[in-house]
Amino acid sequence: MEALFSALADVFGTDVTYSSAARFAALLAFCALGETIAERAGTLNISTEAMILAGAFAAAVGFDMTDRVTIGLLFAMAAGLVIAIVHANLSHRLTANTFVVGLTLNILVLGLATFLNRNLEPYSKRAHVFEVPVLSDIPLLGPALFGQSWPFYLIYPLIPLSFWLLYRTRWGLEVRAVGENPQAADVSGIDVNKRRRQGVYLSGLTSGLGGGYLLLGQVGLFEEQIVGGRGFIAIAALIFGGWTLRGAVAGCLLFGAVDSFRLSLPTVGYEVTAEVLQALPFVVTIATVAVFAHRTRQPAALAQPFIRGLT
Amino acid sequence: MSDTLDEAGAGADPVPAIHLHGIDKRFGAIVACDNVELCLSRGRIHGILGENGAGKSTLMKIVIGLVSPDGGEVHIDGTRRFIRDPLDAARYGIGMVHQHFSLVEALTVWENVILGEAGSLDRKAARRRVIDISEHYGLGVDPDARVADLPAGVRQRVEIIKCLRRDPDIIIFDEPTSVLTPAESEQLFAVLRTAVQDENKAVALISHKLDEVLHSTDEITIMRAGSVVAHLETSDATAAGLARSMVGREVSLRSEAAALGLVEEIEALSEHHEVTSSEAVPALSMKDVVVRGSDGSSALDGLTLEVPAGTIVGVAGVEGNGQAALTEVLSSLSPIAEGTISVAGRPVVSGRAGAMARAGVAVIPADRHDSGCVLDMTVAENLFLIDIEHVANMGFYDQANMNRRAHELIEEFEIQTSGPGAPFFTLSGGNQQRVVLARELSADPQVLLADQPTHGLDVGAIEYISGRLRKVADDGVGVLLISSELEELLHLADTIVVLFRGRIVGQMARDEVDLERLGMLMGGAAEVGAGE
Amino acid sequence: MTTQEPQADPVEPAAPGGRAVIYSKAREAGVVAGLYLSSVAVALIVSAALVAITGGSWREVFSALLDGSLRAPGRWGDTLGVAVPLVFVGVGTVIGGRAGLINIGQEGQLTFGAAVAMYAGLNLFGPGPFALVAMLLIGLAAGAFWAGIAGVLLYWRRVPEVLTTLLLVTVGAQVVGFALQRQWLLLAPIEGRSSRNIVSEQLDPSRRIGRIELFGNEFPISVFFALAFVVVVAVVLGRTTWGFKLRMLGRNARTAQRAGVSEWRYGMAGLLLSGGFAGLAGSVMVAGGDFGNFRLVPGFAVNIGFDGLLVALVARQRPLLVVPLALVFAALRTGSGFLAATGVEREITQIVQSLLVLALLVPPAILFIRERRRALAAMTART
Repeated sequence: MEALFSALADVFGTDVTYSSAARFAALLAFCALGETIAERAGTLNISTEAMILAGAFAAAVGFDMTDRVTIGLLFAMAAGLVIAIVHANLSHRLTANTFVVGLTLNILVLGLATFLNRNLEPYSKRAHVFEVPVLSDIPLLGPALFGQSWPFYLIYPLIPLSFWLLYRTRWGLEVRAVGENPQAADVSGIDVNKRRRQGVYLSGLTSGLGGGYLLLGQVGLFEEQIVGGRGFIAIAALIFGGWTLRGAVAGCLLFGAVDSFRLSLPTVGYEVTAEVLQALPFVVTIATVAVFAHRTRQPAALAQPFIRGLT
Repeated sequence: MSDTLDEAGAGADPVPAIHLHGIDKRFGAIVACDNVELCLSRGRIHGILGENGAGKSTLMKIVIGLVSPDGGEVHIDGTRRFIRDPLDAARYGIGMVHQHFSLVEALTVWENVILGEAGSLDRKAARRRVIDISEHYGLGVDPDARVADLPAGVRQRVEIIKCLRRDPDIIIFDEPTSVLTPAESEQLFAVLRTAVQDENKAVALISHKLDEVLHSTDEITIMRAGSVVAHLETSDATAAGLARSMVGREVSLRSEAAALGLVEEIEALSEHHEVTSSEAVPALSMKDVVVRGSDGSSALDGLTLEVPAGTIVGVAGVEGNGQAALTEVLSSLSPIAEGTISVAGRPVVSGRAGAMARAGVAVIPADRHDSGCVLDMTVAENLFLIDIEHVANMGFYDQANMNRRAHELIEEFEIQTSGPGAPFFTLSGGNQQRVVLARELSADPQVLLADQPTHGLDVGAIEYISGRLRKVADDGVGVLLISSELEELLHLADTIVVLFRGRIVGQMARDEVDLERLGMLMGGAAEVGAGE
Repeated sequence: MTTQEPQADPVEPAAPGGRAVIYSKAREAGVVAGLYLSSVAVALIVSAALVAITGGSWREVFSALLDGSLRAPGRWGDTLGVAVPLVFVGVGTVIGGRAGLINIGQEGQLTFGAAVAMYAGLNLFGPGPFALVAMLLIGLAAGAFWAGIAGVLLYWRRVPEVLTTLLLVTVGAQVVGFALQRQWLLLAPIEGRSSRNIVSEQLDPSRRIGRIELFGNEFPISVFFALAFVVVVAVVLGRTTWGFKLRMLGRNARTAQRAGVSEWRYGMAGLLLSGGFAGLAGSVMVAGGDFGNFRLVPGFAVNIGFDGLLVALVARQRPLLVVPLALVFAALRTGSGFLAATGVEREITQIVQSLLVLALLVPPAILFIRERRRALAAMTART
């Protein structure tokens, strides 16, 4: 026990921990923001994994073609959106089972990315680091929050933007209504399935952007296992957060921190079995959600398809 | 101007606020509206009367833009208009107060009120509007309350605000009183009067209750089987005449009077039912039952209730006072926190799958789609959901045997279906309800809980189900009947108990029912005097 | 007794003109067939286009797939061998699906089951056949255990199983990876392997599943067990009260609870069985020889869990459909071994598979909506 505490103290004493935690948290947050909005509209969207992967690969292609990070990120968002369009129209126009669609898309995109990657072998590298003057000099937290590659900073405006969208616009109100009581929303004159499709589109945009950030802001070069289940951890983060944006962001920070232990424990000199480190984020995620999930209230119509007149 | 307008009588003004002309609508082979003519005039309340299935709801859905007509024209203030969706309807000044399903419980009042509008979200303006309307009509609604926390009567007022917020010229009320206490109904009609007289609005009141229409409207249109069969001034109308037009024949049976909402008729026709039960052990006995909701509040708060074998105990009360929790408990869907439940003297564990059913509690739930059937299974399978072992041998069930038994039930309960193998969801509401009834009764229960068993059914089906309930009780089953329609309780129940905030606050034999006191108990006003 | 009576159906509505009915039924069947054909065609065209874009020839690809799965010597035996675990995973998933569960972690349950079965196979005492049966059952139990974690979390803490089953795939892979690095668990002693290889010892020949040779093709006898198994599951699901109750739970959990079908008992059983059969698939892979040459290696599951899941998704809860679909998917897999000559990456088969799954989702969805709309229209008119 004591050893654990001293290990934790050591880990928390290094700025590597904070930097990598912030990076992982940012990736999760990109996905979780859009995903929260999609789920508030009633879609438990498990194709986030596919959206991130598609985003990452498209970013590589975009960068390879133009040598510009911005174009790469735009490609990433477009790729996420394409997945979202397929998913949304299959499950909220044709009412195919959303889990079946999501899962199949995950497998399809993994195959596509692998296949195309072998054929195209896009070259990419990490975007340059931009250190915000003064702020990045704050000990420990400074480099983590203000000393990252520049796509990282996109998360800062995205968080308030999502808040504004979900809680301060009519669109957001309608999204929330649709996920809680689609029949009532329908009678009030809201196109339920349209709002749900739009929710998924938004999730595709942010998750795609997350994928672009993962590639160009974090990893640099594309490989097939680049996402490694983070899409699902993002979903867990928002369940942890009780389907609120604030809670989802908190969940992302928590799971990002756990993910960073994987990297920082060995760097501060602790010998931990590789497999234990690899499994750590997933085990902690499952355990955390198991503790918190039953206390939160999910959107009442989550994962229930809507067909007018059918209740 | 078509000559049908002249029939409207002396009070109608020359250009009606809305004129529906020759409206046709069919769904597949079924005609919902057949060449319907209807005019709503300013300053008048127009009652639209008809049984369930007569086409009045479809007609109103056409007006509000939820259904598009196959033929006919809609004129608003003399100009022909096309209403494609509810937003169009709002633009032309048409608002509707829905019976159900139009409020999102997780949202606040003001959010609900502006749901479905266009334009940007302005919280301040929305709240102000809610407060203004609430004050103007004396509704007393807090704009920041969460709808989930509000009782049914207040929710109905929120619905009204939601409708009035756009200051509509034409207002449609769809069965507005089904969730209200008598006092709340009266208050509602007072508000309606104000809106009509002071602001010259045109109001349509959809109802299947004769009483209500007779007391609160200026003119009446009666629909039957998709057509308008009569149109007259309310001052010229009599209850008997309206009932005749509505049903298409002379109304003499007591149960039909109940179905049509004729309280006086029921009292006049009242036949004395001999309560034969003198057995010591009641069929169902609940003592000090407490059920806690997920948020810690008490859905049932010390409920004590006895249903003797062979009697019908009617549970009166406004929706949302614990009826749902009562049904859930007796369906093994939620456990009780305190108290005891026993069936025929034997205690039953609550919340354990199937325990209540095994103990002999049959249930007709208020929402059969929720816990009364499986939509995607066949009619035969739905008939044996609980009793599958009955048609099984060594764990294997015999499809042929099952279908044969299903056949017998289908014939006995006059269920209209293409056969035992038909998917359940292809059945009409009335026939679905008969399937539920057939299954529950064929299990030889000790207790039958019927929660709003006739809700949304047509007169024929209501009559049938009422008769069945009576017969079951005569056969010695203890029947617990939950209903929001007092007429139904007065007609069927031997004893009426009043449920208020999760407990029984009063009890009276049918012969001693005092409507005024009943209404006060339902509103929670006379809690103390209940025992006297 | 009237049991001998032929099944009459007196409530059947009188057909208004028999010919018209036959005509409309034929047209309906035509519509359905057309829908399926066109969506499959779209999936194949997209795949072909992908091949063409990346410089391959779809004719060559098709021919290579056919060679690799069927035409070349000994290949259809291999295809059968690959189909066996797909059938087990698929049928297990169908059982879970009937209970309304979305288990998408078969890959993890399979890996875990395979590893535990391997451990048992290497360490159990006793004569070969008994040890083999014990090893398969232990693998089954291990897979069930892995799925059971998600089950407990679902029914005790309301954590969606769709999330936990998948997260447990990664955890399972790490657990097995850990065991494969430890000599006291699974790692073969240094003498038995080249120094850096991470493999388990080879399963003793007496504990392997027997193989049959037929027309120059070789396949494990587990093929027959898999077929028998499918029939048993089909009967249990379709004819027994247990299957009936499972279906009731899957379609309406509240009605089921009222009727005495507890989700703890039936839902958990469905999840345990679906995980268990994934574990059994893993054990069969270990003992059958079509995968890994009777040794456990890292990444042993090679996506069989996910492919079996896809099989089940297309079969849409009908166990008998699992067999032909598993054969198609197995053929794509064995066929992909011959793709190297065409210069097209073998992942194309993964793409074809998932495109097929997506394509096959569309027709039933359209038909479902149509059917519901008709029923609804009839119902709305009456209320």
